[in-house]
Amino acid sequence: MRGLQLPLTQTQKIRLQRALEKLESLSLKANTNATVTIADTIPVNHDDGFLKGHGTLDVDGEVIATVCGVVERINKLVYIRTLRARYKPEVGDIVVGRVVEVVPKRWKLNINYSQDAVLMLSSINLPDGIQRRRTAEDELNMRVVFEENDVICAEVRGLQHDGIHLQARSQKYGKLCSGQLLSVPPYLVKRRKQHLHHLDQLGVDLILGCNGFIWVGEHAEPKDDMPVDQENDTEQDLSSRKYPTTLEDQERAYTPIETRQNICRIANAIRVASTLGFTITVETITETFNLSASLNTGIHEMLGSEFCVLVAEQEAERRGRTKRAG
Amino acid sequence: MTALSLGERLFIQGGIAQDLRADGRGRLDYRTLYVETGVIPQANGSARVRFGGTDVIASAKAEIGRPTLLQPDKGKVSTHVDCSSTAAPMFEGRGGEELSSELSIALQRCLLGGKSGAGAGIDLSSLIIVEGKVCWDLYIECLVVSSDGNLLDALGAAIKAALSNTGIPRVQVAADAASEEQPEVDISDEEFLQFDTSSVPVIVTLTKVGRHYIVDATPEEESQMSSAVSVSVNRKGHICGLTKRGGAGLDPSVILDMISVAKHVSEQLLTKLDSEISAAESREEDK
Repeated sequence: MRGLQLPLTQTQKIRLQRALEKLESLSLKANTNATVTIADTIPVNHDDGFLKGHGTLDVDGEVIATVCGVVERINKLVYIRTLRARYKPEVGDIVVGRVVEVVPKRWKLNINYSQDAVLMLSSINLPDGIQRRRTAEDELNMRVVFEENDVICAEVRGLQHDGIHLQARSQKYGKLCSGQLLSVPPYLVKRRKQHLHHLDQLGVDLILGCNGFIWVGEHAEPKDDMPVDQENDTEQDLSSRKYPTTLEDQERAYTPIETRQNICRIANAIRVASTLGFTITVETITETFNLSASLNTGIHEMLGSEFCVLVAEQEAERRGRTKRAG
Repeated sequence: MTALSLGERLFIQGGIAQDLRADGRGRLDYRTLYVETGVIPQANGSARVRFGGTDVIASAKAEIGRPTLLQPDKGKVSTHVDCSSTAAPMFEGRGGEELSSELSIALQRCLLGGKSGAGAGIDLSSLIIVEGKVCWDLYIECLVVSSDGNLLDALGAAIKAALSNTGIPRVQVAADAASEEQPEVDISDEEFLQFDTSSVPVIVTLTKVGRHYIVDATPEEESQMSSAVSVSVNRKGHICGLTKRGGAGLDPSVILDMISVAKHVSEQLLTKLDSEISAAESREEDK
């Protein structure tokens, strides 16, 4: 465990140790042959031509690993995939990013990668919904759409020479409001079929970005795709309707307390999973949520040592069950 | 610099107004407190305190010195805070110096009272060895290892824990010293006197966001504050020091209200801190 910074009593330490050992024994069955540590020789058939990929080194005719990880073979390429790598974007990844800069015709987003990603003005749906050519006026009004520090959900379109390009053409992508953004280690979010989840009974939107940024917020209805009649609306009206300015308006626009409690509970479930180093999926999060609701744990107590140990035990049990079933 | 979108800011303000912050705490709830004592063996006393993500280390070192001419019957205490570059990216190089000096001055004000030494949270007369000639100089050094909001409260708690862990060596003064010369002192290596920390205050910082006050703010909540008042309260409920940060002005009635809220919160914090310190010391003895 990479530095579990929790005050645990003796019994809690023993219980946690036992749960983690059980998890380790369940996962050890698969793939032990392929794991290597630094300076291990990689078994390669020298007669077949092969290519040495990342994490390998040729020493005295032998192929040795330079990093710790799992050996992957794709056709003739032999490389080592590390377990805790930095986020590496792939086409089709759904990511959550924050706008750092607005430059001509594009927005620059921070997506927890070594470079800032680029979201072109032509890769988003304009607020009026009409499919048209972007004019000079659109370029001048870019800040009306997305401003600095806005949180945006988008999909990776491609890795071009000038950086990572994103696109937000669907109604499910776009600016995220009314919620909180969490940052977890990127390797805890595996690529799945669905990353945007709408938890109906809780009224909460959960977006698991592949880059480790997770958004938990109030449910936002996807906007209507049809163009809106804009003759009578001025720009002022539009912005003030979205963001209340006076204190009374703000108080009326606050998230209802029920939804807020659900948002905080889900966020804490994600924080606990991140502390324990468990993979974050909708199933595990909802199970942790149900566990805390059934035990009536206070929302803040979810971050305490007792609940942490309970989550570890529950995960060990769940994996044991799926292993026996599968 | 915490960057937040308008939607996130409204969410935080709404949470504070509805008494349910981002991690489920109420307005007057602290994060999990974790205390470790004796982390620096070479110092006379040391402690490490964690409030959630904020991690600070305080150490107390006692050296023999001369009392000042203005206060010959009191020892000397000096505090210094260092914001390590690992705590936050903005502390790299000399970036943390402004914050360090601000925190040092705030700690000085909260723990040591005025220039005349009156009203000090730490009893300076207990540090005197020979009046006018020899006294203990106590150097309290703090290091911010990880910064996640609410540094002043964590530093105050760490200093209290470090002082309760401090052992001042027993000193024997040579009896036949002439009145002008420095008497010889024999510092014992074995016997130590525990520093009395029952009157050392604890610091409670109240951050005002909108119409409400919160305790133990995270960096996101601190970026939304209009002003913050740090009050140091001791066990008797007396105010030992007061510091106000932030550009917005406050009505005097608001300050009085914040002081009474701080007094109320400090009772629970003192009890929690004392129990955590005794738990930490028993853990240290077991090792």
